[in-house]
Amino acid sequence: MKRIEVKLSLPVVAPLLDVIRELADGLGRKLAAPQEFGDLDPEFRDAWHGDLLADQKADVGQLLALFDDEFFTEGIVAFDEDNAEPIVRACAAVRLRLREVFLRGLGDDTLEGGDVELGDLSEPVRKAFMCYLFLATVQELIIQHLDSSIIDS
Amino acid sequence: MIRAGPKTSPASETLAHTELELSGRWRVVVLNDPVNLMSYVMLVFKKIFGFNETTARRHMLQVHEQGRSVVWTGLREKAEAYVFTLQQWHLTAVLESDETH
Repeated sequence: MKRIEVKLSLPVVAPLLDVIRELADGLGRKLAAPQEFGDLDPEFRDAWHGDLLADQKADVGQLLALFDDEFFTEGIVAFDEDNAEPIVRACAAVRLRLREVFLRGLGDDTLEGGDVELGDLSEPVRKAFMCYLFLATVQELIIQHLDSSIIDS
Repeated sequence: MIRAGPKTSPASETLAHTELELSGRWRVVVLNDPVNLMSYVMLVFKKIFGFNETTARRHMLQVHEQGRSVVWTGLREKAEAYVFTLQQWHLTAVLESDETH
């Protein structure tokens, strides 16, 4: 089984986990991306929405599970063929929620371009933006090393 | 003398309309968002639709530059399944009637 281990800087990443945990609660109740359900039958729409929410919650749970005892002692997280897919999806969910909750004020063009002066941001927004970048890096790592595992699974 | 057929009730009209909608062709459309990475969107397209690198990139760029891309067209039931899966991956996906057919 293909597996990659990444050593992270504990002092940098640990504070970001508070942001992820804070948002994880909300992601158990609300979809990260606003979705249109069109003309679906209301009962079918509710089931559809409920399934999306349950999947989202499970994925975010997998992301949080990365940061276990090994992470807090060694600073190491591991990605493999089993967790790559839910984690890459969970990163997308949390990033969408970060934008919704903390980063709206930056504007979409700035967010898309990533050209942000960290010193100009308030502490909560700076932390959220760091978290946003960190999760993008996790996604890039997974896509770079485990994309074929995800596509073929 | 031609016998008049039974009057059509609103319920049966709705049913006929629904059947027509179900039998028509539907488009799966992905809309742009400022958050998801280009590489992530390409991964999702490759995973869900089996696109090769070139096709996945073309659709991703269409979403990025034009705000939307039609990624699949076909029967409603399968189109719904694709929209659901795209939404599982947190892409903004909608179902549209394909009026060109």
